Amino acid sequence: MGSAIVCEGVHKRFRVPVDRSTTLKYRLSHPRSTSRFHDLNALDDVSFTVPEGEFLGIIGHNGSGKSTLLKVLSRIYVQDSGTVTLTGNVSPFLELGVGFNPELTARENIYLNGAVLGLTHAQLDDRIDGIIEFAELTDFVDQKLKNYSSGMQVRLAFSVAIQADAQILLMDEVLAVGDQRFQEKCFDTFGLYKREGRTVILVTHDLNAVNLYCDRALMLDHGKLVADGTPREVTGLYKRRMGKASEAEDAKRGVAQGTERWGSRDVEVRDVRLLTAGGDTHRVFSTGEPMVIEVDWVVNSDSVRDFLVALRFDRTDGLSPLAYPSTLLTQALPGMARKGMSGTLRYRTDSWPFLSGSYLMTVEVYDEHRQSTYDQVERAVGFRVIDEKTRLGLVELGGRWEAETAP
Amino acid sequence: MATSAGSAVGSEQIGGATSSAPPRGIIRRHANLTRELAISQFKVKYTGSVLGYVWSLLKPMMMFGMTWVVFEKLFHTGKGSANFTMQLLLAMVMFTFFSDCTSQAMNSIASNGNMIRKAYFPRHILVIAATLTSLMTFAINLSLIVVVAGLLRQLDLGLQSLVFPLLLVELYALVLGLSLLLSSLFVIYRDLGHIWEVGTQLMLYGSMVVYPLIPLVPIRLRTLILMNPLGQMVEDARHAMVSTSIKVPWAADVAGPLYLVPIGIVVGLLVLGIVVFNKLMPRFAEYL
Repeated sequence: MGSAIVCEGVHKRFRVPVDRSTTLKYRLSHPRSTSRFHDLNALDDVSFTVPEGEFLGIIGHNGSGKSTLLKVLSRIYVQDSGTVTLTGNVSPFLELGVGFNPELTARENIYLNGAVLGLTHAQLDDRIDGIIEFAELTDFVDQKLKNYSSGMQVRLAFSVAIQADAQILLMDEVLAVGDQRFQEKCFDTFGLYKREGRTVILVTHDLNAVNLYCDRALMLDHGKLVADGTPREVTGLYKRRMGKASEAEDAKRGVAQGTERWGSRDVEVRDVRLLTAGGDTHRVFSTGEPMVIEVDWVVNSDSVRDFLVALRFDRTDGLSPLAYPSTLLTQALPGMARKGMSGTLRYRTDSWPFLSGSYLMTVEVYDEHRQSTYDQVERAVGFRVIDEKTRLGLVELGGRWEAETAP
Repeated sequence: MATSAGSAVGSEQIGGATSSAPPRGIIRRHANLTRELAISQFKVKYTGSVLGYVWSLLKPMMMFGMTWVVFEKLFHTGKGSANFTMQLLLAMVMFTFFSDCTSQAMNSIASNGNMIRKAYFPRHILVIAATLTSLMTFAINLSLIVVVAGLLRQLDLGLQSLVFPLLLVELYALVLGLSLLLSSLFVIYRDLGHIWEVGTQLMLYGSMVVYPLIPLVPIRLRTLILMNPLGQMVEDARHAMVSTSIKVPWAADVAGPLYLVPIGIVVGLLVLGIVVFNKLMPRFAEYL
């Protein structure tokens, strides 16, 4: 797949006036006063490439330049130097509900907002029932927007925004509004976008969301790109920088990296991937579809004879453990384990049984007697499951009904 | 990879060098957005008031009533000019469009700061939509006046009336040029709000809205006052619609070849408006 976004050496400088003059009088009486500025480097030599279909998270503290970057990508700001190459059209909105007019009804706002997205009146005529239904606002559609609650406005905005046929979706703090259920709905939709090969870029402070949904994360600090890697690495760095998980605290708990991993590391988990049957990495799956989990391992010690790997699934709403499929490796290894030996384990299921929800997978590696832990990576990877039939419950049992009737 | 039917799919480089002419699909989308914005602004303007759309007619009528009493009945400014009441009415409607449109459009960028900071679309659309909103009101007022006055035989319609649509095009060009210029400058210099209030008042008196050119304006000032494009349009419109006894501005003893000056000013303002707007547009989001 090609690159959706190529950003090369982008600089953006803001001239912040010491005391800003917006009156003609000041301009006329101080014609040479342009020196009373100090420069703020909002973006300083930022370069990165986003492949098509990637879900990228951008994090950073307030004022780090992440929103500026998003605005440069969307052409709201023009960079001072460097180039941005976008393949495919970009969604025009950075936030939900931009351009809504409170004096107009929901219906009128749908047409207005849809026009900003590039949809014609006729296209919206076809889609409006679906939009209203998705926003769950059927009874209120001819009321003025100012009478809507903020939650209703956000639902409406979201269901209009997803009508865009943009290949690249840019979102600034979409999670700051709405309840848990709505946020999950947002991410489900992003997951579907990704499947269609669309690219999503999310600027957020919500590290859990980045860990759970993003394929990759960038971190900005004072306009510089300081980290580019997997969400776990980048959010871990961010937490350490922000002092939320200080190294002292880590040492006290005996945790090597972050707060969610322990063990002797005689056998170490190097990478964990969730794949579709086709072999693409994904974070959103449908109930009943095939799924492959891959665990890359390496043996670091001669004392290892054999080891066991177990996968544990928890739901983010606290139900855990939900499932515990264990894989015994005694037969899998050709003879004795040696230091330096590495490999990949695959857990394959033909029909994923979980119903809609957010899940976290933990990887546990033990010695063959299950006496000591080699490596335990808590919440190694998160994913969403969407049940297209929207059934209630936890799992699809996979059984069949048969009826026998006596007269 | 399969792309959906979007029209702008393709490699697009920004900030660098290449910028090809927009495909037709984009123009259609932008025209669609402009129309939706104009219609919704028109709705917002008149919803919430009891009389609704009627206000778009009532307001200029009340303004006209006041001016008519003051200038026609008290000052007798129209003395010696044919059917000055009708002249005043026509000029008032044109001037109301000019002043409403420029003041609304001037605000169109500054008052949509949230949209400009959070969404990307060509910023011209906001200004053009604002002028179209005023144009809708103008169209309603003008057609009502032409129909009613025509039925009351207050208009002198003939071949000369064919000039009138051209004058409306000229008026819209003037208003659009000024709107682009004012709206972009207003983002940076908020003083313009006050200056333009005085400016429109100046245009009211400087464009012969409330008095006739002949015989009221002294001969040596006639040419000068006709160099004001709005004045030229008002005078031309009176000749075209109200009475052929009113002299056309291009008559040899009025403006003569200098008649091209106001038209040149309109074209110049439109070009200046576009140039200034395009120059300032990339920085709008930073100023708002």
